[in-house]
Amino acid sequence: VETEAQKIEVSFRVNGERRSLRTFPFERLLDVLREQLALTGTKEGCGEGECGACSVLLDGKIVNSCLVPVAQTDGADITTIEGLALDQSQLTDVQQAFIEFGGAQCGICTPGMILAATDLLARIPNPTEDEIRNGLAGNLCRCTGYLKIFEAVARACQKM
Amino acid sequence: MQCPFYVHKSLVKLFNLPEEKVRVIQTETGGGFGGKEEYPSMIAGHAALLAWKSGKPVKIVYDRAEDMVATTKRHPSRTRHRTGVTKDGKLLAMEIDFAIDGGAYCTLSPVVLSRGTIHAAGPYFCPHIRIKSRAVATNTPPHGAFRGFGAPQSIFALERHLDKVAKAIGLTPEEFRRRNFIRAGETTATNQVINENVDLNSLLDRAFLLSDYYQKQQRFVRDNPGRSVKKGMGFASFMHGAGFTGSGEVYLQSLVGAEATAEGHVRILSASTEIGQGTNTIFSQIAAEALGVDYDLIEITQPDTSNVPNSGPTVASRTCMIVGKLVESAVLGLRQTLFGSGLLTENYTQAEFKEACGKYIEQFGPLKSFSRYQPPPNVQWDDQKYQGEAYGAYAWAVYVAEVSVDTITYEARVDDFVAVQEVGRVINPVLASGQIEGGVAQAIGFTLFENVVWQNGRMANNQMTNYIIPTAADIPPIRVYFEENPYAFGPGGAKGIGELPMDGGAPAILNAIENATGVSFNQVPLMPEALLRGLAE
Repeated sequence: VETEAQKIEVSFRVNGERRSLRTFPFERLLDVLREQLALTGTKEGCGEGECGACSVLLDGKIVNSCLVPVAQTDGADITTIEGLALDQSQLTDVQQAFIEFGGAQCGICTPGMILAATDLLARIPNPTEDEIRNGLAGNLCRCTGYLKIFEAVARACQKM
Repeated sequence: MQCPFYVHKSLVKLFNLPEEKVRVIQTETGGGFGGKEEYPSMIAGHAALLAWKSGKPVKIVYDRAEDMVATTKRHPSRTRHRTGVTKDGKLLAMEIDFAIDGGAYCTLSPVVLSRGTIHAAGPYFCPHIRIKSRAVATNTPPHGAFRGFGAPQSIFALERHLDKVAKAIGLTPEEFRRRNFIRAGETTATNQVINENVDLNSLLDRAFLLSDYYQKQQRFVRDNPGRSVKKGMGFASFMHGAGFTGSGEVYLQSLVGAEATAEGHVRILSASTEIGQGTNTIFSQIAAEALGVDYDLIEITQPDTSNVPNSGPTVASRTCMIVGKLVESAVLGLRQTLFGSGLLTENYTQAEFKEACGKYIEQFGPLKSFSRYQPPPNVQWDDQKYQGEAYGAYAWAVYVAEVSVDTITYEARVDDFVAVQEVGRVINPVLASGQIEGGVAQAIGFTLFENVVWQNGRMANNQMTNYIIPTAADIPPIRVYFEENPYAFGPGGAKGIGELPMDGGAPAILNAIENATGVSFNQVPLMPEALLRGLAE
């Protein structure tokens, strides 16, 4: 039985903002983000690290937030999809390209896909098509068939 | 959900309440693909019962494992063909036995069976067609809607079979099909006279040219013997009927509304849901184009059963062609009212249109117009005889797959894919090609990866770890081309598109695998184990 006494204090930065909360140590980072911090842009697709819908950047590295116990994030710097653009008029090049090239359909994979693409372009500024494919292979999409996503990423890196 | 009024109808029945006491509101969710067609009525029922009992709002979340184990999947099927041809390669008679596995309860099986049956003879003319179809009860959860709705199953069998018939009579697969493609004026198995100006030969020509079919096939024949990775080319030609089958649209009696605001904006009132496929974009485009005003002037009302008319479910490739046509006629009706009032005249500017809306509302009150579905002339269906116009219009296509089969690892992959189709006029090129690319990707999953493992009537691999869908690394270039042939009864000339791309991938890929390996495979998904067994024999 989980009791209040089992909760721990966790402090981290989310999208540049310092947050502290009391939580069970094995809460999934995904649930803490969505339910305690109301950052519902991060989606749950499979809950077992297969689909990448819940991807966030943790200390600059892309992770599946469904597999991260929140206790591990104390002191960490987390970026979710809400933290990429300052507001709607200042979308990042990757976000803008997803809109222009039809890289999003239903939108469930999109936040994770955009974070994975952002991470890819941070590591490899001018990826080949194979590098784009492999870089995004951890993020599943059921709607687009991926091609418009590749196109968006290729176009975004031309702009950056 | 795809169908707010299905959920509404279910809740009214479940609680025995008057219609106005039940309200269903749709918000944008993940893609539908049929999975959100009838099953949401079940989840809504459970949530509503719990809410009724507890007096509190209830939210139900299925995690992925529960979703996969409980919700509906594509009907497994088995199809048998016997075909008679003349000496010159003309189809003379087709006998088709089509069976689908309905699971333990009858949900959508009759209509899935119907669509599968009508598509079973494909886009060919044959004077004698007999199709015996049945859905059988088994001990699995009920099967339901999944993009294509029975057609991918029956078309898979036909397009594999026709390659074998061609071989038996010494014709190439393409020459055999060319001799039998249905043409305007010819009839289908249900005696539907094809009125569309269909030209499958030119779709085939274009698909072969773009895929470099002959050159590649020759090269593969030359190179394959010395290589462990065998390459091959294959194709499928097919069609997909848009809208509900038979008299379905007549029974639905879909209704769409348009309402002007005092600022001169136009609100569309429909129950068609936005689930990522672009309903809101397409409806805005259709309305703006019909009125000759900016796209930004059009607003789409959130589907809410207390607020929008019943324009039917968001299924069956019907949103653009059927509901979109009603959007077009509703906004034109609204404009007609403005003309009739004398507040607007022909050749108006956008500013004049906006002003006229404002003045009308000031003088006469709300400005609304509704449009109800009427079948196009000569579209009639006889439920008893199962004869007539099964669909108002069809999308037509030829898809070519280039594959490689690794004879050491037994992996098959699609290296290139060309999708040529005629879907009437293309209203939005990005959304349209997005539908085709996404559908082809799902078809690749259907063909090579997506294997539901049943154990004692239960899905055993209800995880994304072992039910595999295509990733970014599995998808070939999918090259999408449209022949545009405006359809007189579609909005701006458009026909249905959503399900078509699910139909042709599986037979094209398996035809290509036979071309690569010389071994005939007749079942999908074609997993590496099956490839191993087939190639070992």
